[in-house]
Amino acid sequence: MTSVLVVDDDQDLAEMLGIVLNGAGIEVDLVSNGDEAVDVFRNNQPDLVLLDIMLPGLDGITVCREIRKESTRVPIVMLTAKGDTHDIVKGLEAGADDYMVKPFKPSELVARIRTRLRRAGGEVNGSLTIGDLAIDIVEHTVMRGEREIPLTRLEFDLLVALAREPGRVFSRETLLIEVWGYRNSTDTRLVNVHIQRLRAKIEHDPENPTIILTVRGVGYKAGGSSARG
Amino acid sequence: MRLLFGPLRRSLFLRVFVISSITAIAVISSIGSNLYSRLSDGIIEEKINSSIAEGSAAIQYANYRFIIGSVTNSTSPLKLAEEVVQSTNITAQESGRETILFSVNGKVEQGIPAEMSSNDLEPLSVPNSLRNDVRTHDGIKWSRGTLTYLNGEQIEGIFIGQTIDIPRVGQYEIYVAYGFQAQSKTIDLIRNAMWGAGLLLIIILMMMATFVLRSIIRRVRAAAEIAEKLTSGELQQRMEEKGEDELARLGTAFNEMASTLASQITRLENLSKVQQRFVSDVSHELRTPLTTIRMAADVIHNARAEFDPNVARSAELLLSQIDRFEALLADLLEVSRFDANVASVTMKEVDVSEIVRKVSDELANLAAEKGSPIRLQLPTEAITIDGDQPRLERILRNLITNAIDHAEQLPIDISVASNESDVSVSVRDYGVGLTEQQMSQVFDRFWRADPSRSRLRGGTGLGLAIAKDDAALHGGIIKVWGEIGKGSNFVLSIPRVHGAQLSSTPLSEIPN
Repeated sequence: MTSVLVVDDDQDLAEMLGIVLNGAGIEVDLVSNGDEAVDVFRNNQPDLVLLDIMLPGLDGITVCREIRKESTRVPIVMLTAKGDTHDIVKGLEAGADDYMVKPFKPSELVARIRTRLRRAGGEVNGSLTIGDLAIDIVEHTVMRGEREIPLTRLEFDLLVALAREPGRVFSRETLLIEVWGYRNSTDTRLVNVHIQRLRAKIEHDPENPTIILTVRGVGYKAGGSSARG
Repeated sequence: MRLLFGPLRRSLFLRVFVISSITAIAVISSIGSNLYSRLSDGIIEEKINSSIAEGSAAIQYANYRFIIGSVTNSTSPLKLAEEVVQSTNITAQESGRETILFSVNGKVEQGIPAEMSSNDLEPLSVPNSLRNDVRTHDGIKWSRGTLTYLNGEQIEGIFIGQTIDIPRVGQYEIYVAYGFQAQSKTIDLIRNAMWGAGLLLIIILMMMATFVLRSIIRRVRAAAEIAEKLTSGELQQRMEEKGEDELARLGTAFNEMASTLASQITRLENLSKVQQRFVSDVSHELRTPLTTIRMAADVIHNARAEFDPNVARSAELLLSQIDRFEALLADLLEVSRFDANVASVTMKEVDVSEIVRKVSDELANLAAEKGSPIRLQLPTEAITIDGDQPRLERILRNLITNAIDHAEQLPIDISVASNESDVSVSVRDYGVGLTEQQMSQVFDRFWRADPSRSRLRGGTGLGLAIAKDDAALHGGIIKVWGEIGKGSNFVLSIPRVHGAQLSSTPLSEIPN
C-alpha cells in the first residue's frame, strides 16, 4: 500500500487529508511539527511527502531540504496558502517537486499524488544515453562513467522525457503535461526551477549547458547523441 | 523680439543683470551729463566774466592811447592804431587776445584801414549782431562767437566791443576777442575723465551684480534641482543650510517641508502596506480552513447517494457555495494585488483570436444552457500582440460571463478587429442593457445593475473591476455602451506592443 507523510500544523486539515487519502487507498502518517517530520520520515520511509510551508519548529523549506538529504528519490509536494512566486520558488529550489495552492480540490490532490508516484518511462524499458550520461530506465539510475548521479524522481522523469526524443523541442507547457501531468497550467516556474536543478547536477558547466539546451522563446531540448539500448 | 525675450523670461540671472545694467547706465549717464554741463557752463562763464573785465580794460586803455596820442600829437593816428591793434602778439589760440578795429563809416581815414585786426584774424569774425549792438548803443557790449583766422582755423571765443572816438580821425568800433581754447581743453579733460569714471563704475557695477547674482542664483538653482529630485521621489534630498541669510532660511524651511513630506509619505506607505498586508494575510489565513471545508464537503458530496434528498441537496449546495466562496477569495486577493501595485504581467506573443476562441469554447456550454449562443466574428489571420495570456483570458471570461448573465436568451456577438498598432475585442449582447448612469458604475467593485436581480452565475461582483485592471496592465481600456432593452457592448482595446500608448480603438463601443 502507498504511504504518504503529511506534515501540516493544522490538525483539522491534516485529519481531513487523512480521510480523503485513506478513501483513495493511500496510507497516511500525520506529523504536525517540523522538528518531528525528518525523524518520522527516516523511520517510516513514505512513498511521498505532503509538506506545508508554514510550520511551527523547522519551517517547511528547511524540512524539505533535510528530507532531500535523506532521500533524493522521494517526491515532495508542497502545500501552500501563499500563491506568491517567492515562496513557491524557494520551496522548489529547496527540492520540492511540485506544489498545490490551498484551497485545492481533493480529487486534484489525489491525481497529483498519483502522477508523482507513477514510475517514470513506465512503458519503455532499457537504457538511453545522452551526452556522456547513461540512463537506465529499469534501474532508475543515471551514470556518468562509473559514477552514479543521484536524481529525484521528477528530475529523472524530466531527463528521460527530454532524452527519449533528442533534438525535439519541448515547450514548457508540453513538459508540464508530460512530466507533471498538468492539463491546464501555465505556471512555467516549475519547469524553469527544475531544469536549473537538473542542470546543476548533470551539466559539467551549468552556466553553459550542453546536455539540456534552452531554445529561446520556445522551451528546451536535449543536445548531444542518444541511442536506445 | 521673441528671440530676445525668451532667454530673459527663462533666466532670472539674465533678467536681473540686464535690468540692473540698464538702470546703472541710465543713472550714471544722466548724472554724468548733468555734472558735465554744469561744470563746462561754469568754466565758460568764468572765462566770459574775466574776458569782459579784461576786454573792457583793454578797450579803455586803447581809448586813452588814442586820446593821449592826439594830445601829444607825437605819433600819427595810423601808427597809433597799429600799435593798439598789434599790442597783443599772443594770439587767442594761445590764450591771449585779439584786437579788431573797424571804421564806423567804413572809409579809410588818414591811412587807417577800414578794418584792422591782430594776428591774421579775419575781422569779419565779429558777429554782425554784436556790431549792430555796439554801433547803436553806448558802452561795452559782448557776444560769444567764432574767431576765424585767415588760414582757416576757427576757435570758439568771446568778442567785447565799444565804439570809440579817435580824435581828429573819426568813430571806430574796437573789439577785443578771447578764445576758449584753454577752457575747451579743461572741459575735454573733464569729459574724458567722467567718461572713464562712468564706464569703470558701470563695469564694476556689472561685475558686482554678476558676482552677487551668481552666488544667489547658484543656490537658487541648487534648490530648484533638489526640489525637482524630491518631486521625482528622492525623499532623502535636502538643501544646504549655510549661513543665516534669507537663502539659508529658505533652505531650512525647504528641508523642514521635505522632512514632513517624507515622513507623511512613509507613514502613508506604511499604512497602505499594513492594510495590504492585512488583506493578504486574511485571505491567506482563510485558505487553510477553506481547504478543510472543501475536502469535508467533497467527502460528504461523494456520499450523497446514501442521504435522504434534502441532505443530499444540501451537500450539493454546500459544495457549489464553497466554489463561489473560493472564487470570491481569489478575486479579493487579486484586487488587493492591484491595489498594492504588485500585480505583474508576463508578456508573450499571443494570438488574440486564439484566446477569444479558447474562452468562447470554455463558456459555450454555459451560454447554451442559458439559451444565448455565442457567435464569433474573427479575422482569418492571426492577430499577434504582446500580452499576458492568463490575464487576457480572464478579461474575456469576465466580459463573456457578464454578457451571458444579461443576454436574456438572445445571442452574444464577439468580434475582433485590429490595425497596425491596436486591437479591439467587442462583446455585444442584446439583453437587459444599461442606462447612462449604469455605464459609469459598471466597473465599480461589487456593483449590481439591479440589486433585486439575482446573480445567475453566482459571480463575485468583482469580475468587471478586475477586467478593467487587467486591461490597464496591458495599457488598454474597456469602453462600454448600453441602452435599456437593447443590450450592451463592452469593447476591450489594447496596444499590440507592450509599453506603447493606445492610439486608436479599432472597434467602437457604439453599435451601428
